[in-house]
Amino acid sequence: MGERDLQRWRELLKRREASRGLLVAFEGPDGSGKTTQRKLFRQWLKSEGVPVTTTKWNSSPLIKPLVKVRKQVRALSPEEFCFLHAADFRHRLETEVLPALWQGTTVVADRYLFTALARDAARGLPFDWLLNVYSPILWPDVVFYFAVSPDTSGMRIAATRHPKYYEAGQDVTGLDDPHASYKQFITRVIREYQGLALVFRFVTIDAERSINEQHREIREHYQQLQRRPWLEWNVETIADWLAQSTTWRLEAQRGVS
Amino acid sequence: MAARGAARGQLIAVDGGGAGLAAAAKTLTAALRGERDGSGVSAWDSSGIFTELTAVEEIPGPSARTLTLLYAADLAFRLRWQIRPALDAGLSVVAAPYVETAKALAIAAGLPRKWLQEVFRFAPKPDSCYHVVDRGGRAKAAAKGDYVACFVSAMASADHAIDAGQLRRQSLAYLTALEKQGRCRRFK
Repeated sequence: MGERDLQRWRELLKRREASRGLLVAFEGPDGSGKTTQRKLFRQWLKSEGVPVTTTKWNSSPLIKPLVKVRKQVRALSPEEFCFLHAADFRHRLETEVLPALWQGTTVVADRYLFTALARDAARGLPFDWLLNVYSPILWPDVVFYFAVSPDTSGMRIAATRHPKYYEAGQDVTGLDDPHASYKQFITRVIREYQGLALVFRFVTIDAERSINEQHREIREHYQQLQRRPWLEWNVETIADWLAQSTTWRLEAQRGVS
Repeated sequence: MAARGAARGQLIAVDGGGAGLAAAAKTLTAALRGERDGSGVSAWDSSGIFTELTAVEEIPGPSARTLTLLYAADLAFRLRWQIRPALDAGLSVVAAPYVETAKALAIAAGLPRKWLQEVFRFAPKPDSCYHVVDRGGRAKAAAKGDYVACFVSAMASADHAIDAGQLRRQSLAYLTALEKQGRCRRFK
């Protein structure tokens, strides 16, 4: 992409900044309670009159069925696992997340890019390579990270069900017992998350506390939220999306004229 | 990630598309079998990802970047279940297509070379590399077994302003440039 194109996209983004939706990501290990919090948060936003939509991990109608079948037969290598989730993420980003944000709808992501970074790094894949696979990255305005210990995560999962094969990381631990494998794997995943939380400045929520306390804290953070300007953070990603999509490029250009 | 270890077999990459790709793979495998039994071909969509994808009537369809990630997923499957086990057993494998086909099409569709270089870092470097010239035509018939036709057809039906002829020409130009740089040979 040439400098002239980038300049044109910068102009478009500058004009869109005030009316665009916010991207709010909820991250954390399984059993951290983020889905409960995501639902409460979404409900609250709606009651405040904020147009809001949700995007969930591994939910693209195009890719999800492919992943489901392959997980069932337990035939995925860490690389194939990574690429399928990256394709799912990219498809949702281009067809759900970016169009919604562009039109002024706030997007609440129940798991975002950092889920892949934490899990795939815990599977032994190099971090720099993972970041590139997921590039260009759309940085969220805020990431709420729900912090729990490996024991809490394991206990909450075990209270309702057996962890699934890939969720328990049995493909990399080599352990037959899903609970033992889960504990070992989630310890690695949490370690990765903790590193990410520091580097990418997540808002860490102590998810060992009551549901109400957590929800109140999220509201307070949201009300003081400083949006991350697209012009500073996301020019390349949005330019890439507009360059690939005729419909949205024309829509964006109409907004300028 | 891309370390070959003590692999003894030869990995031969053939890139490009159309009927010429399968013919080249067949010829090369026959020649290899003359040397050692058991050598074989690793073909595109061995994992079935693209076959299952075309069964989904999904609008909007995948972008060039999403298709490239799916190609990489299929290649990861081929490496795990076909290519690496054969090489480790001392057999040769003709990978048709391999990495450069996906790169050629993605670059023609406007994706950055640096991103592609990194994405395909997981794939081992082939011992030798060929390319075949895809003359196009027969797009629908070929789409079932040919990534080039599949990619071109997806781009034509998706929300893109990329001309199919231009895609084919530019991807061929990429492979020809590799040939000029001495990085692959044209299969005749």
